[in-house]
Amino acid sequence: MITVDCVHKRFGTVHAVNGVSFTAGNGQVTGLLGPNGAGKTTTLRMLYTLMRPDHGRIQVDDVDAVADPQGAQARLGVLPDGFGLYPRLTAREHIRYYGELHGLSGRALDARADELFDLLDMQGIADRRTAGFSHGERTKVAIARALVHDPANVLFDEPTNGLDVMSTRAVREIIRRLRDQGRCVLFSSHVMQEVSALCDSIVVIASGRVAAKGTLDDLRRLSGQSNLEDAFVTLAGLNRERPTA
Amino acid sequence: MTGTPPPAEPRRGPRRQPSLSSRLRQTLVIVRKELRDAFRDRRALFSIFFGAIFFPIVITVMMNRVADRARDAEHLTIPVAGAENAPALIEWLEGQDGVSIAEAPANPEAAVEDKSVDVVLIIPKNFGERFSASRAAQVRIVSDSSNSTAQPAAQRVRQLIAVYSAQIASLRLIARGVSPSIGNPLQVLEIEVSSAQQRAAAVLSFIPLMLMIAAFTGGMQIATDSTAGERERGSLEPLLVNPVARGVLVSGKWLAAACAAMLSVGLTAALSVAQLRFVPLQDLGIRFSLGPHEVLGMLAAILPLCPLTAAVQAYIGTYARSFKEAQSYMGVLISVMMLPALLSSLYPIADRVWMYPIPVIGQYLLLTAFLGGRGPGILPFALSAGAALLLAIVFVKITTRLFRNERIIFAR
Repeated sequence: MITVDCVHKRFGTVHAVNGVSFTAGNGQVTGLLGPNGAGKTTTLRMLYTLMRPDHGRIQVDDVDAVADPQGAQARLGVLPDGFGLYPRLTAREHIRYYGELHGLSGRALDARADELFDLLDMQGIADRRTAGFSHGERTKVAIARALVHDPANVLFDEPTNGLDVMSTRAVREIIRRLRDQGRCVLFSSHVMQEVSALCDSIVVIASGRVAAKGTLDDLRRLSGQSNLEDAFVTLAGLNRERPTA
Repeated sequence: MTGTPPPAEPRRGPRRQPSLSSRLRQTLVIVRKELRDAFRDRRALFSIFFGAIFFPIVITVMMNRVADRARDAEHLTIPVAGAENAPALIEWLEGQDGVSIAEAPANPEAAVEDKSVDVVLIIPKNFGERFSASRAAQVRIVSDSSNSTAQPAAQRVRQLIAVYSAQIASLRLIARGVSPSIGNPLQVLEIEVSSAQQRAAAVLSFIPLMLMIAAFTGGMQIATDSTAGERERGSLEPLLVNPVARGVLVSGKWLAAACAAMLSVGLTAALSVAQLRFVPLQDLGIRFSLGPHEVLGMLAAILPLCPLTAAVQAYIGTYARSFKEAQSYMGVLISVMMLPALLSSLYPIADRVWMYPIPVIGQYLLLTAFLGGRGPGILPFALSAGAALLLAIVFVKITTRLFRNERIIFAR
């Protein structure tokens, strides 16, 4: 369970996140939908505590993420916007490294790694160095190491960016499974179809503010548009910002 | 998957402080990962083993060359033209240690000019006649002062002739009832202050330089790759999402680089010393022994510098905008490390206590002292090691502060 309460973040004169509030519940997939530059990544970075909000409160389960970043991080599994791997380490070594940083070790860690390889269908690449991995394989390694400590809350920042059809399907399947296990899943995307296919609850972000939130049907009703894309454009105010388009 | 996520136990109140043992365990996890990564990295391996492989070869080649030249100078063969004109002089020369007489080439000037001989002694026909008449008898020494390799031989011949001349002069004065000291109002006594081992230190002065370079290059690749490299390949952001204190993270990376630097120094020292056993030092007139005592002393002098170089490199790697930029700073820094060794060959540094706490200079003074066979006291050791470690901790602290800076983490 993640609660964001009136969070602000400025970079110089740019008000990147301007009073965002929402709640992402357990056993639900919450989508953070917004155009590029809307403040999705900044919001997520404040959630996983790499950025400190100027104002506002963030709760991960019952931990105050601003006051106790490490406590919050222990409850979060995160696939950040950019996820580099170590080309000279194998997939298994990546997962072991993060597991050990979370305090896991020995047989428990080995078992957990094998579990993740099964879940993500990556047994074949588990003991290969990641140097020559495809983008899909790299994404799987990054997801696996993010989940090694069995976190109750999962944040994915544009997880399907640049993936081919099969890898995109695999990632969506993982997100559904994580939800079915009762976790709180929050992911950001600018792809409408993805959000509508996966999300139980949608938060539309535009220009650093929450433009709308609710279920898919709520959003359709709010915007008065039956087509989701039109609903998104109306809610995010994109049609007002570009009158000539 | 375990099925259900762990229940979130309610917890409020102040921020939890991770225990010391968990911080220590995380630090070791990071050290292990960075070292494993480095030992699969050709560039890192090269930077660790570069000194250990390259420097002993340099030592052998250079020392053998010096030894060959010293041997040549000791066994001096003098080509003489007209030896029959001064049998007594020739006999005296042959009686000197390591001197032998040879037939001069037909054209002495040409032979010296084309460097086929270093020096030729010419004794003219009228030598005996003038000598007997106690008039100044002439000898000619043909040498080429622009040929530096021939200088020791020519110098030696000049000295020999001068000594012979002085002896004859003394004998003649005595024969006339005059004390020879009248002809020598001044007597020059040269007093050599440097011990044989100190002379060896001069010859071997590049050992400190080598160890300095090893202390710098050993950890360089790890320190840069785990900071600037980590950010450049985008693995820093996911790494920072793990519940690890920034101080722990920086300490782990720093210790890994320091370990690599120490390994590099240890290997370089061990292999260089092993190599010195095969160098004919006695041919150089050097009574030189690098026993276990000296080697341990040198290691104790240089090893505390490794944590400092690693910390400075980690700071630069974190501060630099890119891996490339970090590397260009490293190039500048290594010249600073080499400066004391190079300067001291121009301006000999007299060691003063206040110099020991200055990093690099302190270590350099300690190393030279050990090579000279003078074991420095405890105080210089404590000062140089203490200052280096203290400064290393300062750099780790300010690197940790950089790691807390959002603009540094997200590459500005």
